[in-house]
Amino acid sequence: MPIKTWELDPNFKNEIMGEAGGERLASCFQCSTCTLGCPITEIVPSYNPRKIIQMSLLGMRKEVLSNPDLWVCLICQTCTARCPQDVRIADVLSAIRRIAEREEEAGNLKIDSPRPLFDKAFQHQLEKYGRLYDIGLAKEYYPKKEGSFIKGMKAMMKDYKDFGMRMFKKGKMGPKAMLAPKVKGRAVIKKIFKEMGEE
Amino acid sequence: MSINKLAYYPGCPSDGTAVDQDMSTKAVFEKLGVELVEVEDWNCCGAAEVEDPKVVYALNARNLAIAEKEDLDIVTPCSICYYNLERSNKALKADEALCTKLKGIDSSLDYGGKIKTKHVLDVFVNDIGMDEISSKLEKKVNVKVAPYYGCYIGRPPETAFDDPDNPVLMDKLIELIGGEIVPNFNYMKTVCCGGPLMMTRGDIAFDMARKILDVAKNAGADCISLACPLCGMMLDGKQADIEKALGITIGMPVVYITQLLGLALGIEPNKLGLNKNAVDTKEILGKVV
Repeated sequence: MPIKTWELDPNFKNEIMGEAGGERLASCFQCSTCTLGCPITEIVPSYNPRKIIQMSLLGMRKEVLSNPDLWVCLICQTCTARCPQDVRIADVLSAIRRIAEREEEAGNLKIDSPRPLFDKAFQHQLEKYGRLYDIGLAKEYYPKKEGSFIKGMKAMMKDYKDFGMRMFKKGKMGPKAMLAPKVKGRAVIKKIFKEMGEE
Repeated sequence: MSINKLAYYPGCPSDGTAVDQDMSTKAVFEKLGVELVEVEDWNCCGAAEVEDPKVVYALNARNLAIAEKEDLDIVTPCSICYYNLERSNKALKADEALCTKLKGIDSSLDYGGKIKTKHVLDVFVNDIGMDEISSKLEKKVNVKVAPYYGCYIGRPPETAFDDPDNPVLMDKLIELIGGEIVPNFNYMKTVCCGGPLMMTRGDIAFDMARKILDVAKNAGADCISLACPLCGMMLDGKQADIEKALGITIGMPVVYITQLLGLALGIEPNKLGLNKNAVDTKEILGKVV
């Protein structure tokens, strides 16, 4: 599919470089070291961080932000560690994901991955309790991912019934893990998300 | 040895899925004569799910400020917590405007940049030192180990404290306590376990974890050793789920490096949480002499 130059957004690279972590985007010289070393490419052959970076530099905003492969990055930092141009690819991809999430919130985009829901549900636990509360996370994430409470609970049981029993038997799901943590300074954590975050 | 007291940042899984890591870390430091003072009322570091660096820095400013009041450097057994604490520490030390902004949000975020943040592995090998540990060993842990480091020990460069491709700190400890490093596992040492995708792309996560378990098994390892609770959840906690989903049998014990070190220091296995690992560890205990 040829690139339609009149549909490009020349400001997209500046948008990414304006995000924390996205600053080094324009240093990329397309050597592909990031992609060759990436452990995900073996499993998801379409995943290609080099290409995502070049498309970003060209201004293919819509294509980049709606690419489902954005959401399979593990943030394992192999690409960042090996990049000869110090592009900080893992951080650049994170910056792009945050732009995509904002676009979805604004109703301009539908993200084809449950990962934003998971990340949000995780963050909500921190805002509420100051620490991660696994049960609270699962109770928020699964229904949202599956579209209803019943379906969510069914999916959660399927994924975690065996694991939960295993952990319980080994004494890793005791009262301390079952009850929500309550960090005394949790009001500050809430304030942090409000003042520093993008929500 | 120059240190005798550190602030301890346990991380969120320490009460649940990684309680064995928490127990063994505390027991080992006690035996080594280093007092751990838990960071009072610590909050989550942001893990991998808080993607905005500014929020991560703010979350960790609070933890750093608490330890700074006690005038103690922070140590954590979790690689992700370490990465977040260390990069926040660096960012806050370098950015006065950020510090001023955080102070404005809440006085508890007022961090003066005076302390260091470290991973337990770094403290063992580089601060306490091999000679000191060696002098306290009581037993030989005669096991063949696949040392698995995961992501944030050798990466990214600005927070790394070991080699990105062939880290060695855990190898050194294993050899010191009488263990053997299996051949042909080196190339898997730092390949991600898949943990961050567990809840959103479990299929990819299982595939990645399976590779590590397979390579360790084929290399003839008695166990895999770890230094991160997320790796622990994937490789140990989820191992039976991986076996079931992929129709394979692995049966590879997975232990934290603090558990192995604790055995060599003569600590009671149950005090190291070795009865809590999902894959049975009895065979390893039989090789402690």
